[in-house]
Amino acid sequence: MLLEVKELDAGYGYLQILRKVSLQVDTGEYVCIVGPNGAGKSTTMKSISGLLKPMGGKIYFNGEDITGLPAYEVTQKGIAFVSEEMNLFVNMSVQENLLMGAYTIKDKNAQQDRMEFVYDLFPRLAERKSQLAGTMSGGERKMLAIGRGMMSKPTLMLVDEPSFGLAPQLTETVFESLDILIKNGVTIMLVEQNVNKTLSVTDRAYVLENGRIGLDGKSSDVANDSYVKKVFLGV
Amino acid sequence: MENIQKRQPVNTEKSREKENNSSISKESNQSLSKKGNQSLSKERNQSILKEGDQSISTLDVFLEKTGFTPVGLLGVILLLIMPFIPPFNQEYLLRWLIYAAFIAAMSVGFDFTAGYINIVNFGYAAVMGYGGYTSSILAINLGLTPWIGILIGGLNSAILGLIIGMISLRLRGIFAACLSWFFGLALMGLATKLVWLTRGPLGLRVPRMFATESNIPFYYLVIILLVAMYILCKWVVKSKIGLAFQAIGQNMDAARTSGINPVFYRVFNFTLSCALAGILGGFYAHYYAILTPEVMHTSKTVEVLAVAYIGGRGSLWGGAVIAFPFIFIMEIIRSTLSNLPGLNLIIYAMLLILVMIYYPGGFSYFFDTHIRKPKNKALRYFLNGRETSAS
Amino acid sequence: MYINFKAIANWAKSAAGITITISIAVALYATINSGPYVLVNTIITGGMLALVATGLTLMLGVLNIAMFAHGEYFMIGSLTAFYVFTPISNYIMENPDSFLVIIGPVIAIVLSMVSGAIAGVISEKLVFGPLRRRSTDNWVMNSFLLTVGLSVLLINLHQLIFGADFKGIVRYWGGMPVSIAGAFISRDRIMAFLISGLIVFLFWFFMTYTRTGRAIRAVSQDATGAQIVGINIENIVLLTIALSCALAGVAGGSLLFMYPSYPTMGLEPLYMAWFVVILSGLGNILGAVAGAFMVALLKVVTVEYIGAGWDFVVPSALIMLILIFKPSGIFGSEVRGVLDK
Repeated sequence: MLLEVKELDAGYGYLQILRKVSLQVDTGEYVCIVGPNGAGKSTTMKSISGLLKPMGGKIYFNGEDITGLPAYEVTQKGIAFVSEEMNLFVNMSVQENLLMGAYTIKDKNAQQDRMEFVYDLFPRLAERKSQLAGTMSGGERKMLAIGRGMMSKPTLMLVDEPSFGLAPQLTETVFESLDILIKNGVTIMLVEQNVNKTLSVTDRAYVLENGRIGLDGKSSDVANDSYVKKVFLGV
Repeated sequence: MENIQKRQPVNTEKSREKENNSSISKESNQSLSKKGNQSLSKERNQSILKEGDQSISTLDVFLEKTGFTPVGLLGVILLLIMPFIPPFNQEYLLRWLIYAAFIAAMSVGFDFTAGYINIVNFGYAAVMGYGGYTSSILAINLGLTPWIGILIGGLNSAILGLIIGMISLRLRGIFAACLSWFFGLALMGLATKLVWLTRGPLGLRVPRMFATESNIPFYYLVIILLVAMYILCKWVVKSKIGLAFQAIGQNMDAARTSGINPVFYRVFNFTLSCALAGILGGFYAHYYAILTPEVMHTSKTVEVLAVAYIGGRGSLWGGAVIAFPFIFIMEIIRSTLSNLPGLNLIIYAMLLILVMIYYPGGFSYFFDTHIRKPKNKALRYFLNGRETSAS
Repeated sequence: MYINFKAIANWAKSAAGITITISIAVALYATINSGPYVLVNTIITGGMLALVATGLTLMLGVLNIAMFAHGEYFMIGSLTAFYVFTPISNYIMENPDSFLVIIGPVIAIVLSMVSGAIAGVISEKLVFGPLRRRSTDNWVMNSFLLTVGLSVLLINLHQLIFGADFKGIVRYWGGMPVSIAGAFISRDRIMAFLISGLIVFLFWFFMTYTRTGRAIRAVSQDATGAQIVGINIENIVLLTIALSCALAGVAGGSLLFMYPSYPTMGLEPLYMAWFVVILSGLGNILGAVAGAFMVALLKVVTVEYIGAGWDFVVPSALIMLILIFKPSGIFGSEVRGVLDK
């Protein structure tokens, strides 16, 4: 098992959002968390990535306890987080942003290899090497954020709302790029609001509601669940 | 002053208007005694009492209108009889008291900007000095009586505040603070270099306000100024304007989208607080009888800032209360340990740092959370005044 | 060679182009009119200001601290240089052939840099760190007030421990002044300029091309993003404060022969550096360097043509004008950070 979250409690200040959330991700899996706004999807991601200190529970990665580790150590362990806001370095060029993504890799040649890998994945980024990240379009920024996440050669990628604020066409592109990552052997945990699309591409799904896991199972099963159909898909 | 007051949304209630006028007249005419002020408010209270609720006593209404709690009123009364209580009837202690009251009044004006619209006016001492120079130069060159000179000084500083407020409009937070700081530096530079007008670093010899050696009249004047400024500022921040100030201070964009025009409120705030500084500058000049560009120095602003923040930002009264013990302790350290120069400043810097790190709410926050809510009803009334549903 | 005239024309029409062109014109005019020493003074003051201002802009960008105590690190640097160099200088008097004649000043200047860095680290550990751990609400204003307290504290500690008198030296490197283009310039001034030029260049190189320098810039642009990619923010914060205070310290140390050390000596470099930072906008090292030379020119020309003492008034008036018309500064970048908070 690659990632195991056990009875995680998390929140901001006095406001507890997650209550006893448990989930597991196996190597090579494509897992998603779906749920309504405010259910705690992003909070789960932030807790795993170390940006938010959990209030209780345990997080294991590769069998190692990573609960409460600071974000930079979590990254060093091999978890990359692509946040909803992307958090790009807006005044740096695309190239520099990618280099920053490889911050944990000290070997120059390895960095170069990763860079080529990412440029192969997203030829669009290669075209815009020297453009400032802040001046790019929304879709390109998403690509850059995912590419930057890839630079650290992660074993697990947490991707938060990749389609947020994107035109439908661009959403397709982003999903395609995630597909390529999966084919390259990266494990992905995805949080999405576009439930229909997400359930059709992922292997397994967790349904998060009011800070609790309501349902989990194969994505196709979840998509056929009558409750999910009624609430999320409006069928 | 009056022009600005008229620009506020005018309350139709007659008593409110009276309040407005009375605070102006107190503001502008220092000769109006405390007693006169009280009788005026009594009149008003009676008119309100006739309208209805009999359970509200005259004292309560008076307190509500002036923004004092019973303990605050007691404090003012204590200050008024202070010069007759033994250790304080000595002239040198009275000088300290005057200086403390002066810093207290400055901190009220400073907090009016820093605590409400969240912009530190770093040139505050320079604005004060500007008012002082205006009044002094008028008194020396034209023989104008200080009483009118102080008012003109206040008016002049208000214009300056208007300008600072206007040009810092597009800047936020720290950059507006920097701009006012540069403004202050420029003013101080002018005061130093315009030797034909200000005699530069030599300093102006200014006629004193009262032709007496005694400090007592000055003491009462500065206390009246302090009380009047507190009432005026409190009255403004308790009104709708104060709410707008806080909205702007917390989040300017949110305030703007909810229909508050930051232009008017920021400029108004700067104008009023600078006007107060100008009047205090006039008092300073006509009390110490000597005015050098040093009073406009940034370190003077820092002194006021320290008092205002240790007292508690956004409270107005915190700085005014804390100024008295603070200045006294500083003066005692300075006079007893004169072989260790700067020790008092080290202590106050450390105090400021510790307060900012561990207790950013300052004294007023401490008072509000730990002292203000006792179980005893009488004590509770004493500390809070009549409980109103609004607050 | 292909020259893009249109780009040059556009640059010349931008705020940066106009100010730089005017500055160069003024510098040339003043040099021809009053002699080369105007230029020399401008360059030396500008070099010093560049050191202080880049440190200030770095603090503002990375730590989000609007530093009011930056001049005090300048003061600490000069104080260190004084106490290190005085015994060295006495030794040189007795042994004029010693190798210390050349190396001595370098030791003093390097130590002034080190002491600035140490003072910065101590301030972070004792002052800013505790506040950051306690609460980051309203951080910009609270940390600014902390630096105000820090400034008063350091000034008065200096006065209490070392006294309020001027602690200066006559010279670092002796010898005859060097003649450049008909003007005689003392060796100390040339060295001061070379040192500041070298340090600014090294610093710029470090920030642009090294992994750590890039990490510092990354933190200043997006702290969360920096954490995500694996940067330990605490280390970067500590490094940044050490670096920027070291820059101020070395400026103070290398100019000891011009500005003797006394408690409130930091105020002038401080407000000049703030002029530079506001003039040139945030997060732009090269902009800060260019701005530093402009402000220095403004100061020198003001003293030359209007009179000493007016250098308080004229630069602040001009900078207020600039702020009114271009609040983001002349070289203002897209980085908004502090401006929005």
